[in-house]
Amino acid sequence: MLKVDHVSVKRGASVALKGISLSLDPGKTLAVVGESGAGKSTLIAAILGLLKPSHGSITWAGAPVRSCRPALVMQEPRSAFNPALSLRHSVFETVTAGKLKVQDDRLERLCRGLELYPGLLDRRPSAVSIGQAQRVGILRALIAAPPFVLFDEPLSALDAVTQKHTAKLIADLQDEEGFAALIVTHDLGYAVAHADEIAVLKSGRIDEISTPQVFMASPKSEYCRTLRDAAVALGALEPPV
Amino acid sequence: MTLSVSGLSAMRSGQTILCPTSLAISPGDRIGLVGASGSGKSTLGHVLVDALRAQSHTVAHVPQSPDEALDPLRSMAFHWREAEQALGLQPGAADQKALFSSLKIEGGDLRKRPWAWSRGMQQRFVIAMALMGVPDLIVLDEPTSALDPVIAAATMGLLDRHLRGSKTAMMLITHDLGLVARRVSQLMVMHEGQIVEHASTKDILERPQSEPSKVLAAHRNWFALPC
Repeated sequence: MLKVDHVSVKRGASVALKGISLSLDPGKTLAVVGESGAGKSTLIAAILGLLKPSHGSITWAGAPVRSCRPALVMQEPRSAFNPALSLRHSVFETVTAGKLKVQDDRLERLCRGLELYPGLLDRRPSAVSIGQAQRVGILRALIAAPPFVLFDEPLSALDAVTQKHTAKLIADLQDEEGFAALIVTHDLGYAVAHADEIAVLKSGRIDEISTPQVFMASPKSEYCRTLRDAAVALGALEPPV
Repeated sequence: MTLSVSGLSAMRSGQTILCPTSLAISPGDRIGLVGASGSGKSTLGHVLVDALRAQSHTVAHVPQSPDEALDPLRSMAFHWREAEQALGLQPGAADQKALFSSLKIEGGDLRKRPWAWSRGMQQRFVIAMALMGVPDLIVLDEPTSALDPVIAAATMGLLDRHLRGSKTAMMLITHDLGLVARRVSQLMVMHEGQIVEHASTKDILERPQSEPSKVLAAHRNWFALPC
């Protein structure tokens, strides 16, 4: 399991994360939400070991997180790929480099679930839409059945129908394979519908961690209520009953 | 003056991604452009902007990705000055302080290059540039995709106030039907490079006629539906 224990991270002179503690079990989904600049992307970078905590520790089953080969779905779909190479090359680059095993029908199943026709993978990133690039990013992350996947805004460029089908594929694979999913998102509708817990970040601190039911019905903090009400006003969430 | 274009089309890698399309947009129109991923929404937005600018209309464009609007080698101050010049404004004529304050990016350092700003701040900076003048049309492509709900609501509120009573027309390109339901009076639905339905927002959401519109309307609140 993932354990983030009293982690603080400095970026230049400022402290981007301040004493963050959370945990995530295999098969579970934690959604991390909060305002722009709250530290969500910094948290992902720290979990992946790209930023070193100034205080605290981050482990997966007691070892450094990198030891479990976590997968990442990046926020900016097109720039997540090498522009000079085909998407197929980028998808299998990590598989080849890591000598990872891929099930025979894995690519076909992911393409079907993500509504990507196989020929699309032979294009370069600039020759597909941002929504298609985003789904190829999800395909790349899931191709080798990792035990832990970090999703940074995985559905932001997808239409409602494709969002639903993509969310279903992720949920089905998670049920079958039991990977832990940490999802950074602004989409509170997705977080409430699919996460086991929602962590709200504000100014580098965790404002509140709760189940979706508690987040919707009776969040403790003022900021959580503001966030929920803004999502309702935008049409991203149904009003709480 | 009505903005009119005809025969807009686009191809990529030998494939037609936008079939010949004609549009007429009246002053003050609020139009939403929706459709599946890859249906050609952003392509239509780009081609429309180019065609109208070629007719000497003023068009502000907020692309889907701030990377498309901001040169990574130039400071944010450079981009701001460039936008003022493009609109024929004197340096400092746009009320940068008020726009930045409304969009909550007043803390951004204009001496920095884009990559020193968060993605959400970059997106709001591009929206601020689009709002500095009074163009004939503003095309906003997924303007809130990188924003949290609080900032997104404030940004859309600023847009509403800015455009209220204005002759500037707005085209909102988005996959978020909740967003368009409250902010545009007309909807155009795209499917495989074609506009397959163009009607009032209410009609399309409540009585969609084409199959793509029916599918979209049925999935408006997909997260509340069983997978």
